[in-house]
Amino acid sequence: MKKKRINWAQFLSLPALILFGVFFVYPLLKGIGMSMTNWDGMGEAKFVGLKNFVDFFSDERAMHDIKTTLIFAIGSAVLLNLVGLGYAFLMNSKFRGKSIARVIIYLPAIISPLIMGYIWYFLLQPGRGFLYHAFSQLGLPDPIGNWMSSYPSALAVLVLVNVWQFAGMTMIIYLAGLQSISSDVLEAALIDGASPWQRFAHVTLPLLMPAIRINVVTNIIGSLSVFDVIMSLTEGGPGYSTESLSIYIMRMCYGSRTGYSTAVAMILFLIILIPVLISMRLTRAKD
Amino acid sequence: MKGISKFIKYLLIIAICIMCLIPFYVLLVLALNSPERVFYEGNIFVPDFCWQNFIDAWSKSKIGMAMLNSAIITAGTLGLTIMTGGLAGYAIARHNTRYNKFVFGLLLSCMMIPGIINTVPLYTLMRKINAVNTLWGMILVCSTLALPSAVFIYATFIRALPKELDEAAALDGCTGFSTFWRVIFPAIKPATASFIILNGFGIWNNYAQAVFFLQSRSKQNIPQALSVFFQQFGGAKWHLMASTAVIAVIPVIIIFLVFQKQFIQGLTDGALKG
Repeated sequence: MKKKRINWAQFLSLPALILFGVFFVYPLLKGIGMSMTNWDGMGEAKFVGLKNFVDFFSDERAMHDIKTTLIFAIGSAVLLNLVGLGYAFLMNSKFRGKSIARVIIYLPAIISPLIMGYIWYFLLQPGRGFLYHAFSQLGLPDPIGNWMSSYPSALAVLVLVNVWQFAGMTMIIYLAGLQSISSDVLEAALIDGASPWQRFAHVTLPLLMPAIRINVVTNIIGSLSVFDVIMSLTEGGPGYSTESLSIYIMRMCYGSRTGYSTAVAMILFLIILIPVLISMRLTRAKD
Repeated sequence: MKGISKFIKYLLIIAICIMCLIPFYVLLVLALNSPERVFYEGNIFVPDFCWQNFIDAWSKSKIGMAMLNSAIITAGTLGLTIMTGGLAGYAIARHNTRYNKFVFGLLLSCMMIPGIINTVPLYTLMRKINAVNTLWGMILVCSTLALPSAVFIYATFIRALPKELDEAAALDGCTGFSTFWRVIFPAIKPATASFIILNGFGIWNNYAQAVFFLQSRSKQNIPQALSVFFQQFGGAKWHLMASTAVIAVIPVIIIFLVFQKQFIQGLTDGALKG
């Protein structure tokens, strides 16, 4: 009888598992425990049950941060996909300077969003920024006004800057999707007498579904944890109105409300889980 | 008719490109304006070409040290994730045991979780092992965030390789590790390129973790150093702030321009496989 041999080579994945287990999974699980304490980061932690979660949902600032985060994420995802798809259609044909245009449109996406936020601040600062002076030199009225003083305009500027920065990334993925559609299919539709709109709605769009799924999901998930661009462009202002949940977590942690801040992180985790699960389900349905 | 639509298309593309480049141009103008210049004097589209700003910015902002730190963190993170992630991807692709199914499932299900979710409890762990304000600590943090993507890319690429490669290596007396390192790893250079492209800039630009783990001045990375430097001025001295920002983005832009072909290719491959 042959003894069953252990296949040692399968354990080459052990270093990765240890690294990930210690520095990702363990803190994640520990966070669940911490979220039910009143720990201030220094002294003794006391178990307080679900008090942090109750506090969160009765805190006006926290509720407003949820709203801001969701509007930012959904607004960014919708605009990024519309703009990215538009760019991709425009770029999906032969023309001179195509590769240069592609590089230029992608360029903003490689820069740190924090630095990009500062650069836009130089441009847009009310009454002082470059745009204000350029317009007044040309004798034109101020195009942006004091956008930083009101919540809707400040949030709109944040969304637009985010869309400006990452539209190129969305475009590249749509371009790849468009290029994978064989021209035979579109020609067949043309021969069958389909109008341009019918060709778009019944041929291109369904074949583009994988790219749309990737883009929508990554854009929503990425925007739900937005941090950098808000820190540099508005610092969450006016007041706390454009503060995102990520920034709230950091500020609560620095404000010695460590236990509470992990509870907020758990809530953000649950929010992010929704699009993650939807995307997993969609992927499985496809397979 | 065709001529007009072509003309409109060109016009649109040029307008989009200008829109993408204007902030960079304005940044350059601000960086080259002399300190004495009041912003709205003269033609604001033409700078003073005061190159001295870059020297002042370099010496006052500690951006040089931050760039070195960012480079060490990025190289260390990429090295560690390629090594551990590549091995794990190999094991998962070739030995689909229950244990490896678990590892792969765990990593995949955590792939989309952003770092901020566990940053606070991680911070207490890092403080216990004296890893806060160290570059190696930041490398560990960034590595765990990039690891799922590395394992996913490597597993996908290695699955597409013929098994004969492994068998030939085994006949030559290679063990599991040396098969990976001598035979498999060189055969999947596109996977490594794709992984570096998808994650490199993100690690270089990391701010959400750096805020927690790199607070001491000597250990700051680029975004952290820039935000501290900018807060110091509180809105004054735009010429110094702008020239520091220029110094900070130039390496990234040069690397992107040099490798742009591979970059766009790798991005497309990686994105559609994921």
